Amino acid sequence: MATPLNIERQKVEANIRVHRFNPEHDRAPYFDVFKVEVETGMTVLEVLQVIKETQDSTLTFRASCRSSICGSCAVRINEKPVLACSTQVIPTLVAFWKSSITVSPLKGLPNIRDLVVDIDPALEKLSRLHPYLMENKEWIPETLEHESLMSREELKTFDRNTDCILCACCFSTCSAVSVDPGYAGPFSLAKAYRFSADPRDSFKRPRMQAAQDYGLWSCAQCRKCITVCPKDTRPAVAIQRLRKISIDDGIHNTPGSRRAKAYMNDVAKFGQVNKPILPVVVNGPKGWAAVEAEEGYLRKHGLTHSLQAPRLPGQPHVARICQRVRELTQNMTKKRTALRPSNEESKPHRAEEEGIRDE
Amino acid sequence: MNSDKLHYAFYRGCCFQGADIHWLEIVKEVMGLLDVELHVLEQGVCCGSGVIEERSELTSLAINARNMALAEKMGLPLFIPCATCYNVIANCRKVMAEDRESFRLVNEILKEEDLEYEGTGQLTYILWAIAVDVGLEKLAERVVTPLTGLRVAAYYGCHLRNPPDIQDYEPADHLTSLENILRVLGADVVDYGTKKECCGFHLTWPNREQSMKMTSNVLCGIHRQGVDLIVTACPLCYKSLDAGQPRALAATGHDFLVPVVFFSDLVGLACGMSRERAGLDWHVVPVNVRL
Repeated sequence: MATPLNIERQKVEANIRVHRFNPEHDRAPYFDVFKVEVETGMTVLEVLQVIKETQDSTLTFRASCRSSICGSCAVRINEKPVLACSTQVIPTLVAFWKSSITVSPLKGLPNIRDLVVDIDPALEKLSRLHPYLMENKEWIPETLEHESLMSREELKTFDRNTDCILCACCFSTCSAVSVDPGYAGPFSLAKAYRFSADPRDSFKRPRMQAAQDYGLWSCAQCRKCITVCPKDTRPAVAIQRLRKISIDDGIHNTPGSRRAKAYMNDVAKFGQVNKPILPVVVNGPKGWAAVEAEEGYLRKHGLTHSLQAPRLPGQPHVARICQRVRELTQNMTKKRTALRPSNEESKPHRAEEEGIRDE
Repeated sequence: MNSDKLHYAFYRGCCFQGADIHWLEIVKEVMGLLDVELHVLEQGVCCGSGVIEERSELTSLAINARNMALAEKMGLPLFIPCATCYNVIANCRKVMAEDRESFRLVNEILKEEDLEYEGTGQLTYILWAIAVDVGLEKLAERVVTPLTGLRVAAYYGCHLRNPPDIQDYEPADHLTSLENILRVLGADVVDYGTKKECCGFHLTWPNREQSMKMTSNVLCGIHRQGVDLIVTACPLCYKSLDAGQPRALAATGHDFLVPVVFFSDLVGLACGMSRERAGLDWHVVPVNVRL
């Protein structure tokens, strides 16, 4: 049910707790509390500006466009990464049932001063993932008479990811970043996907190798990055698709790619994942230790361990679905190739064509 | 069907069959204590756990739209007992609602089996089925052995919270239904710092080392608060925090153990089930607390 529109303007006194840190004289960060009169519609960024103008001119934060385009004002409000310019104070107070909000810098990046972090370590990793197009000579027409066109369907596969503004909100919230310092982070891998999915690009292979090196299989798919992204770019979905491209492109010999193939095969074959043997399928002979442990655990409870999952009653239908999807994907690829502007010498879309061939 | 009861189509996921078949009986019994009858969706299949998307998104959509279409055909809301299954199936519902081409393609595939996904069926998760559909008042009436004095940490995991638009039961930033249930059961709910961190379950096979670091991180945050018991809202989080606990803590140099239970087992215990019936013997970390 939609809430009735309330046009009454509210005014409340809010306590704004702000993370403070000046490396020149503070040994550790601390919080300052500022009392600010907040009105309906006021954003966190406006409140920070009011504090700087009227209460403490040393308060340091970054901001530029005030329109959620530049991404520079990203901070954490009550632990959640947001853009300060697009987050209103009163709804935040209501959502948390509190009369105060806590503003702190993004996590996972070095804190330079107050709310400002050094984003360079994250951008340095992004640069390793070749975030640019290398022209695909087989796709781009030789003469200037033709434009290098792509279909709406092709654009749709990565259009969302072109909206990324590099604010690093996803980097700050990421479960993998916090335990693996070598992990590239959601937005970098999503950028790698954005360029690899572009039919005008020819640099997929080196980019896939870089993605492996910078944590393609470290993402736990917790999907927190989807929640915090202010532009709804859905980085975790891009990472799933990047994994698909890397497998299609021939990188089969990783635990992650073996898991993906096993799931796909098993669901078609049994209607479920063949979990008893999964550790061995994914990790090779060293997976036997886990299988044996499970066997011992079941024996303790008087059950025998089977190395094969039972076939579920719905399995024949899933097998048929997998086959139909394969046919449909092949037809779509053929149709798309035929519609291309300069199609005589052009190569078919490799990832699409191979699709789920190896199931 | 008995109209005094709530009826659901029960989606089994992988945690409620195979080696974990005992859990199916536990969940059925617990829900029975709350006047809920579960009708197993016999034709339902694995949701793919968000992994088959790494091979084919359309396959995942078709399989999960099929799971929902089967419940629609039964005329019952789909009751999902695993947070990852809920997340994947709710994501399918979202994509089917926002992308007409996927909706058309999937229904073209399902037509062969004489099924149609309409998008009219309801989805619910076991947590919200108890906290909202059954309701806290009724739950309170059924509590016979309150868990008074028990210090518990409530852990939701990630897949009920992220992304926020997969459910409309409560604000995703501020989930409270698990705490509400635990308070009704009489327990003291303790806050802790790693509540929104991931337990790493889905990295168990592709990246074991990192998975153990993540499990340990969550456990250490909880242990610092001196709790008696961790209560999870997700059966997969239960698995990684219980079965994965000894190895994860040993690998990261910690020397403690905290017992873990899946929340519905605790509901059963408070509503009169015995320790054996509630499956406490199956735990890897012994549940050495007075229940």
